[in-house]
Formats: sequence, structure tokens, C-alpha cells
Amino acid sequence: MKCLLIASESAEVLFYWTDPEFRQNVQDQYGASQEEGQRPPAFEDSLNTLFAPIIISCSTMVDRLGDSYACFTTENQHNYVLHQFDECLYIAVNGDGQECEDDLRRKIYVMKKMIEVLFGMVNLSSNLLRKELRPQDTEQRTGLWKHLQGLLETYSRLRENDQSFLVEAVERLIHPTLCEQCIEFLERRLLPALNSSSERNGEEVLHSFILVHTKLLAFYSSRNTSTLSPSDLLALIVMTQSMYPSNTDQEDPGPEVQPPPEACSHCTTPPIDATYCSDVESVSVSGLEMFYTPQPSPTNRSSSGSGTSCGMAEDSLITLEVSPPDPLAPTRVFLEVSLKDGLYPMMPHSMYCRPLWPGITLVLLTKIPNSSVAMSVYSYLEAFAKLEKRLSEGQEGPAAARGQPTVHDLRSKLDKFIKALGPCDIQVPYTLHHIEAIFYCSYAQWSCVCLASRLIPWCKSMKTQLCGVYKQCFLNGTTRGADAPQRLSPALQELAQAMVQEKLMDWKDFLLVKSKRNITMVSYPDFPGLVHFICVDRSSGQMIAPSLNITERSTSELGGGPLAQFIRGKVWGLVRTARQYLQKGYSTVTLRDGDFYFCYFLWFENETGYKLDEVDLPVLPDDSPPIGVLARDYYRKLLRYYSKTHAGEVVKCYELLTVHLGVIPTEYILQHCRQLASKLWEPSRNPLL
Amino acid sequence: MAELMANSGRCTYFFLYDGTKVQGEGDPTREGICYFYPEQTPVDQQELLCGQLAGVGRCVSELSSSPVRVLRLRHSKFAIKMEDDFFWALGCAMDFPTVSMCDRLDQLIKLFCFYNGPVRQSYQTNSRETLALCWSRYLFYLQAGATELHHIFSCLRTIDSTHIDPLLLLKAALILQACQRCPLVLAGCILFRGRVVSTQMPPCLTVRVMAHETQTYNKVCVRLLTWKSLVSFVLSGQHNSIGHNIIDFRPRRTRLSRTLSDTPSTESTPDLEPEPPGRPMRLDAPLSPGLSRGAEQRDATPTNDPLLSPASPRFPEISPLTNQKGPRRGGQEEEDEEDGPLEKSRYYSFHSPDGNTSQTEFQGEAPPPTDASPLGNPPPAGRRAPEREGYPEGRAASGGSGGDILPGAGVKDRTVVPMTLYQHRVKGLLLALLVEPHLQRDTEAMEEVYHSSLASLNGLEAHLRTVAPGAPGLQGPYTFAHYDCVQNTLTTNVSGRAGGDQDHSFVRATSLLHTHFCNSDALQEAIIRSARTAVYATRSVAQETYFLQHGGALRNSGVPNHQDTAFTLPSKARHRLLKHGVSLL
Repeated sequence: MKCLLIASESAEVLFYWTDPEFRQNVQDQYGASQEEGQRPPAFEDSLNTLFAPIIISCSTMVDRLGDSYACFTTENQHNYVLHQFDECLYIAVNGDGQECEDDLRRKIYVMKKMIEVLFGMVNLSSNLLRKELRPQDTEQRTGLWKHLQGLLETYSRLRENDQSFLVEAVERLIHPTLCEQCIEFLERRLLPALNSSSERNGEEVLHSFILVHTKLLAFYSSRNTSTLSPSDLLALIVMTQSMYPSNTDQEDPGPEVQPPPEACSHCTTPPIDATYCSDVESVSVSGLEMFYTPQPSPTNRSSSGSGTSCGMAEDSLITLEVSPPDPLAPTRVFLEVSLKDGLYPMMPHSMYCRPLWPGITLVLLTKIPNSSVAMSVYSYLEAFAKLEKRLSEGQEGPAAARGQPTVHDLRSKLDKFIKALGPCDIQVPYTLHHIEAIFYCSYAQWSCVCLASRLIPWCKSMKTQLCGVYKQCFLNGTTRGADAPQRLSPALQELAQAMVQEKLMDWKDFLLVKSKRNITMVSYPDFPGLVHFICVDRSSGQMIAPSLNITERSTSELGGGPLAQFIRGKVWGLVRTARQYLQKGYSTVTLRDGDFYFCYFLWFENETGYKLDEVDLPVLPDDSPPIGVLARDYYRKLLRYYSKTHAGEVVKCYELLTVHLGVIPTEYILQHCRQLASKLWEPSRNPLL
Repeated sequence: MAELMANSGRCTYFFLYDGTKVQGEGDPTREGICYFYPEQTPVDQQELLCGQLAGVGRCVSELSSSPVRVLRLRHSKFAIKMEDDFFWALGCAMDFPTVSMCDRLDQLIKLFCFYNGPVRQSYQTNSRETLALCWSRYLFYLQAGATELHHIFSCLRTIDSTHIDPLLLLKAALILQACQRCPLVLAGCILFRGRVVSTQMPPCLTVRVMAHETQTYNKVCVRLLTWKSLVSFVLSGQHNSIGHNIIDFRPRRTRLSRTLSDTPSTESTPDLEPEPPGRPMRLDAPLSPGLSRGAEQRDATPTNDPLLSPASPRFPEISPLTNQKGPRRGGQEEEDEEDGPLEKSRYYSFHSPDGNTSQTEFQGEAPPPTDASPLGNPPPAGRRAPEREGYPEGRAASGGSGGDILPGAGVKDRTVVPMTLYQHRVKGLLLALLVEPHLQRDTEAMEEVYHSSLASLNGLEAHLRTVAPGAPGLQGPYTFAHYDCVQNTLTTNVSGRAGGDQDHSFVRATSLLHTHFCNSDALQEAIIRSARTAVYATRSVAQETYFLQHGGALRNSGVPNHQDTAFTLPSKARHRLLKHGVSLL
């Protein structure tokens, strides 16, 4: 029984996902309370009614006590986790014992991350984000929610089954020669071919990688490009998997429970929408049918994938079409870019996913032509945020005087920015003129009246307007005008696909098998009693672990039955436990649990492999962001924290988890751990990026 | 109090909210607030917390079809109990283990029910103010005195057996056994200065019995011999098992063969020969200015303190006494007290002046008309009478008293049995026995119990008093805590107040590991290490042990290394803890 809900402060549902059991439970509760002969209410409405008291109480607590709910546990072990991001309240529920509080909090943060990747800086304005998450148009909303539901389900499936999503680090295919060849191929052949073509429509391929299921075969970033952060890479893998689920699904289908169709769901939309819908139908282009599925079905993700890209989320007043799943349409993603002059979060990119064969995917990330606008918008947003902060801290008079040069500065820069934008688009200048008007107005006001507090609301509205510009530029751009969508031309995409297919033709079967048995415990005969291990290099965000296949017919040494399932449970539990202790500042944990002995170590090294001294790790409160990478990169913060005491040195961070048989004497276990720690990252065994 | 403030195990909020009082739209939330701690909290904040938490609690429990257990906010957390339209919440600091927090709430509620019977019923028969006093006392009792480690394990406080001649512990056990010769005595325990010397009851019951003792002990340190009884309620299941569940605190190395044969004779003879009350009197002399008057009454037999007895119509000799005496005591009429009803009664209390002042203090806090001790809280006889009829011969089916008196379904499977708590105090020492209520009618049996134990108790008290109190356990270059899950006791060398850096990190690690042990059945052993400290923990079915070795900084890189000092902790712990009587083999 699982559910994830995003609601606004006024208890409006901005997104929900439930599994069939939860849905059934809600419907049962409502079915019981309904009078005979009455139709049960639409699911979304029931959900809204059920959660509204919690949501409203939450904002009451914030207003009056300055505190809000973090978690509820019931006597039958149902868990509720709540978290507020700006004005959006996320609630995750589990009632089947499969997810603990930490898992739910992680799910919430991952959902937030996905929304950031899909909507970028629109996240900075709650008002705009609310409109994006809940488009007025029912079809659009259904489509978008289906897409987000698909992402959430894909993430949950991966977290349950894939070790790399368990520890949130990328797993590489261990085949040094082939990996090297592929990287070279991407570098020397594919990227030059694409970036020199005239059909790229001003886009530039920055990153390219090949995935075999969730494992990385090759990754290449063009020179002078910012590195792709591990968090973003993991998010992109989730998106790829959501578009092209690997065939593990077909071998091990989840419970394919189709919720009963609710024909009446459309009736629940307000009449104003209904009239608007008919407009849409009359004008819009083909392909609407697919979104007539009245209710999103949680388990059916196949059709939602590429078709309902973030382009769906655009302002319904401007763009009407709901494009059919166009496999060649890029997905707009917002990724972090670190340049010499700083870190720019949520910079727009286009992502092209080309399936080579089932299970093998080529992913291209391109820089779009007007992406520099995003940087400007970001710096103005920052400037206004700073200004606002200063204004609210200092009062009138002296503070205003101090602030003035900055405002002046901002004004001239903004002028230039508007001029530079002028010829780009028709929509943009209109909004910006608006901004300018406000800006002058506020500036004039400030000069005359000298009331800093009056400027604060203007600062806020400037920020909202800037987010609006950003939205206009990057969220509406992907599908604007069927005539010339901004993208690599279909021919070019097909070329890329063909080139890589040709390169890997002879390897594809090998790769598919290899991805299931990347490394196996058989390769470690020197470690008697060692059942399993996971080793993670947190500096590069990569992990190594023997395959632990549970859902496969092709079994590992552990076999495919209950034993493997048991070990899997233990490993998953160990990671959870290790994180709990790490959160409280413990970097070494050993546990004797039933017939097994578990170890967890975290340590730091410098570049030459010299082990660095331990420092006191930060002790985090219970409701801090989950320890991991995908949603919030804990390890990056940890490394930064550690580097403070080791200035001028490159610091690396490693983690090792082992599972041994309990009968093995502890000193041998520790020796094994020591050997694994030093052996695993030898270059000969593991080619680095 | 200062100690309490420093303790992170202290609760921040506690309230009881009665949902049946606030049902209509217009009903003010304050109507439902039965008790709120801290009491000085402004009413609108009380209303906010009660209203919001109870509302959200109900909403969540409807969604999950199960009551809420834990409710956490960003800066505080609450253990919740929802039963029978009542909503309890106990708030604690964030770093206090959630398991322990929930335990404490359960303990608190059970403690209340132990002395007052079912909650709904006691709120029908008593004023809110009276019961608020009870809650605040129980709350104080559960939080007071002990170290944070004691709070984490919610354990009993026992005397430090390493400093005490095992013979004394054996003697205590024998006294209890002797009392059990009377068939109406179910089980008992002996407490000394708020700590358990020996008990035959399961730990959960001992805690409740102690609640009363600790209160009185703290208030009346030099009270002389008294004995009294008060009504208490035990779940029927518990009732059946009490007699069979005998636990004592003798260290396992006690040499039974020697002691069994000679203790009774050696110990009892010197005590029995002099006039029993004489000795405590002498010992008490320096403390009590009113010596002479006390001595005059020494020969009389102590009474069943009528103040605390259940004013039941079934005990005709006692109830009129109670009715007369209550108001008089309220007026602080010493003379009346001693000369009036006591002459009629075969039993009466000894009151030294100290005892008296404390008695009045005791009295002053309870509203005089209810004639109830603040702790054991028997309602006035008249009001209580119809309900008591609902209890057929001690085996009460509380549902039997009719739906209007006991609404709610939650109560019906929790049959409670009223029992009487017999208490016999010899200064710091207290013998507490759970007895069948009709023991009070059976004067012969009562006297027998009293006399059979009196002398030995005097002797035991004299011996225990000579043992230097409070000397903390052997200090060494290590910190440890050993928790016995069966007896619910803790042995540790963490002194409550020193609060060094090491102690603090030890407590923090212990609370994490204890939580982990509670949540995982298979976990047997753990070592956790941060840059500064390494803590080893091990548990079996019956015990949990935590060990930290002091020493210089661990200068370690954290990389797996078999020479790491953290991994030598298990063998060190085995070694070091042997001399504390803890065997980890």
C-alpha cells in the first residue's frame, strides 16, 4: 500500500501516485461512506478529501508553531513521511512494510529531483511550478502525471532491484578493452560527426553515453565541458529506463493490475475547463487519442515515456498540441553545470535517447542554442534574491544607500540583457518589457520614497517574472511550432544510432549477458566465507559489486531462489543500517546478524592512495535529506567538508560493504575487507572514466 | 529539578485529550484537555497542540485503520496512544530514542490505571484537578532521579548489589517468601530509598509499586514505621501470573547453601528479641525532636493508614473511619487523630512530628472532600459504591457496570482486578505487597503478615543503612552499561552527573544501538566507530551490554584494518566486565 502526493498549501493536489492497493483502500473507504446508488467520487477527489485535514493542519502548525510534521507511524506499521519544499507539501505513505521512513523520505527527495530536472528554475517560483504541475487542461495533466508516475515507478523498481540504485552510484560494465574502444569511438567518431553536421540546428552534443540496462558501457564528454554530476547521471538513467524499460521487466512482470476505468473522471473538472477542452480538441493536431485514457494507470508506463516529455507541461494557453510519442523528440532536462566562474544549477539541455537494441541505449546530451539566457536569468535571480535579503535585513535609510549602486548596476545589466534577447523571440520581450516597467517603477519609488520594505514585494515579482522568462525560453521551446522544433534533425539522430549500432553489432549479445553477470563472486576465490560486497568510489560516483540477480532466470552462484532473495534482503538492510549510523557520524560499523557478519567502512584517501586520517563526521538531524547521491549529494558535501582540513590536496572518499558468513573469525573478515579495499580500485581491474 | 533540566530524557510535553468532550462544531478544544504538561503553557497553545495533533492523529488512523503510535515534527517528537476516544501524547527531545519514548508513555498510562483503574471510569468519578495531580506525579516519578541511560532502557533502579552482602539480599527474598505464607498475599517487593532490594513481581509491576514508594520516600525521608494499603488495579492476566512470577535481585554468585540454613536464625533473633519498634526509634532519635511522644506510642500496632485505604462499603470497619478522619486531618488536628478514632481501631499509625508534617503536606495537596491521597486515589465511598458492585468478587468485568458509565469498547477486553497494595515502611525501607482486597477484612491474616515481617524488616533496614550509598561502581578506563531485559535492571559505571565527553558519546551510541537492537531480531553484536569513539554492543535474549574503552585519540584512517583498536573491544569487554559480574561468554 503505497502513495505519494504533492499538494499545494491550499490542499490542491498537484500530483499523486498510488499503487493499486492504496487506491483500493481509498475507494473502499469512500464506497462505504457513499449512499446507495450514488456514484463513487473521482479518485483524485477522494484523495484530496482524505489528505486535506493533514495538509491544512500542516500549514497551521507552520504558521503558529514554526514547526511542521515530519513523520507518522501507526501501530500497524504504516509510515507517513511529510516534507515541505517551498509551498509544495510532499506526503509519502507506505502500508506494506516494504519501505521504511528513510526510504519514503528518499522517494520524496527523488521526486523533487525529477521535478527539478524536468522543470528547472521554474521550481524557484512556487506559483509557476504549481501551474506547471497541474495544467488546467485535463489531457495535459493526465499526460504529465502519467509521465511523472512512470518516473517514480521506474525509480522504485530500480531501487528495489538494482544495486547501483541501492547505493546510488553508477555501475560500469567491467570489460576494459571494449570500454576503451567505445569511449574512443564516441570521442573520435561519433561526436565529431554530429557536431560538425549542419543538421544539428545549433545544438552541440556535450555528453554521450551508452547504457546496457542500467550499467554504463562508455561515457564521453567533449572537451572543455563541465562534468556531468553523478546525481544528474543517475536521474538521466532513471529517465532512460522509464522510456525504454529493460527487459528484466518482461521476465519478471510486476502485478499488472489495471485499475477499473472511471468514465466519470472528466466530469469532475470545472465547467470552464470543459469548454476549454472542446476548444483544444477542435484545434489540436492528431494524437490526442492516447491521452483519452481516462485515468492514469500506475503500472502502465510503456506509452507514457518519450511522448509526454516536459514539453507537455507548458502553458496550455499558448501551446495546444499534445504530440504523439515522437521517438525523435528530445526531452528537455535541466542539469547542473560547473564552470570556472561558478556553479550553475538547472541549466537547460536536450536529451536524446536512442534505443540501439532492447536493453542497450545511446544517450546524447546537447547544449541548446539559447542556453546562455539561462545563465543570465540565474545570475539575475541570485542578484535579486540577495537584494531582497539585504532589504529585509536592513531597514530604510542607510541600507538603501548601500543597496543603491547594486540596483543601479542591476538595472544597466538587465537593460543589456533585454536588448540582447530582443530579436530572439516574440514572446520574451513582451514579458521583459513588463519586468522593465516594474523595475523602473520600483526603482523610481525607491529613489523618491526611500522605503526599502516596499521594494521587497517588487523583488519577489521580479524573480517570478525572471522565472517566467526562463519558462518561456526553455519549457515552451521544445514543441513550439510543429514546423521547426528545436532539435537535432531526425536524420542526424538516425545517423548516430546507426553508427553506434554498427560498432556494437558483434558485441550486443555479449553485452546483454555481461550486464547480468558483470562480476561474480567466483572471481574472488581468495576470500573464503565472503558472501557479497559492494565497493563505492564516492569521488567519481561509481560502484563495483558482484551481480545479485534475483529476478532472472539466469542465476548467479547464489541461485535464483529464496537464498538469493534472502541475501538481497540482508544487503539492502545493511545499506540502510550503514546510512543510519553514517548520519549520526559513525564511519565504521560491523554487525553480527544471524548467520552473517556485516562490515561497513567509509574512509578518505588522497590521490596517491595514501589513507587520510578520519575526522569527526557531521551528525545530522533525523529529518535531514537522505544520505545518498541521486536526490542530494551527501558525499559531495562530505568531501567538501573534509577538504577544508586538507587544503590543496585531492581527497577521495570510498565505501566498502561486505557480507561474510558468521563462522569466519573476525580477524580474517577484517583482512578480507582490507584486501578488497586496496585491490578493487587498482587501475588494472577497473578502468576509470 | 536542575538535574531534570539537564537530562535529555525529560519530556517536553504531555497531554491527555478526551475526544468525546469536543464533538460539535462549537465545542471549544479546551473542554477536551484533561491534562496538559507543562501546566503553565498558555491555553491557546495547549489548544493548538491538542487540537492539531489529535485531529491529524484521527485522520491518519482512519487512513491506515490503525491508531497512530509516533508523530514526529521537525523539532520534537511525540509518542501517541489513541484508545477509547482518549488521545495521549508524550513529547520528547529529538535525540531521545523513539522506542524508549513510546515505552514511557505506556508506562505512564499503566501507572495511572494501576492506582486509579480504567481512565474513562476514573474521569467519571473524579475531578479533573484531582487526576491532574496524579498525572503530574507519575510523570515526575518516571522522569526523576535516574540517569539518561536509565531513561533509555526504562529500567528499574536497584540497589548496587556489588556493595551489599549477598546475605542481605537473600534475607530480603526470604522476608517476601515468608509473607507469601499468607494465601492472600500474591507477591511483594522490598525497596530501600527508592531502589529495589528484592522483588517477586514482574518488572512492570514493580515499577508501578515503586511509583508510590518513591513519592513518599522523597517527601518523608524519616517517616517511622507505618503501614497502609491502597487500592490498585491489575489486568486479570497479570493477576493470574503474579504469584508465579518470582524474581529476585540476588547476584547469581550468592552462596545459597550456606545462607539458606542460617539466615533466618541469625538475622531474626537479634531483631525479634528487643521490642520491635524500639530500635527504629533509637536510630531515629537525632532526626526526630518529637522523640518522646513517638516513643509512647511505640508499643501499639501500626495501623492500616485509613487515608490510603480504599473506602469501600465492603469494609465496614475501615470506611467509617475514613469518613471521620479525612476532614479532621485536613484540619490538622493531631490530637484528634491520635486519641479519637485510633482508640477504636486496633491499628493506627505512628507519627513522629516529621511524619506528621509530611502527612499534612500530603493531605494538603489533595482536595479535602475527596479524601484521597494524591497517588493512590480512591474516590469517596459514596460515589464509588455503585461501581464497586460491578466487580463480582474481585474479578471485575468493568463492562458490567453499564454502557453509560463505561462507554467505549476499548475497555472490555482489559478486565482489571482491584487489588490492595499493602505497604509497611521502616524508615528508608519499604515492604510492599500486592494482596487480595479481602485481606483487610481478615484481621488475623493481616496481623500475621505484619508480625512475620516486622522484625526482619527492622534488621534489614539497619544493615542496609550502614552500606555507603551512592558510591558509583568500579571506575576504570572504560565505560559500560549492562541491561538485563528480564529483570529490567541496569548496571553501569556511568555516573549520572559527571557528563564527560566520553560519557556523552557513550550514551548517544547506546541509544542508537539500543534502538537498532529493538528493531532487529537477528542482530547479536555490533561495533560502531566514529573518529573519536568506538562502542561495542552485544545482546542475548536476556541482556544487552554496551562497552566503550577510553584511551587516546584513535588516530585511524577508517580504512578496514584488522589492527584497528575498535576490533579488540569484544575481548576487552569480556575481560573487564567480569569484575562487574557481567559475563559475556
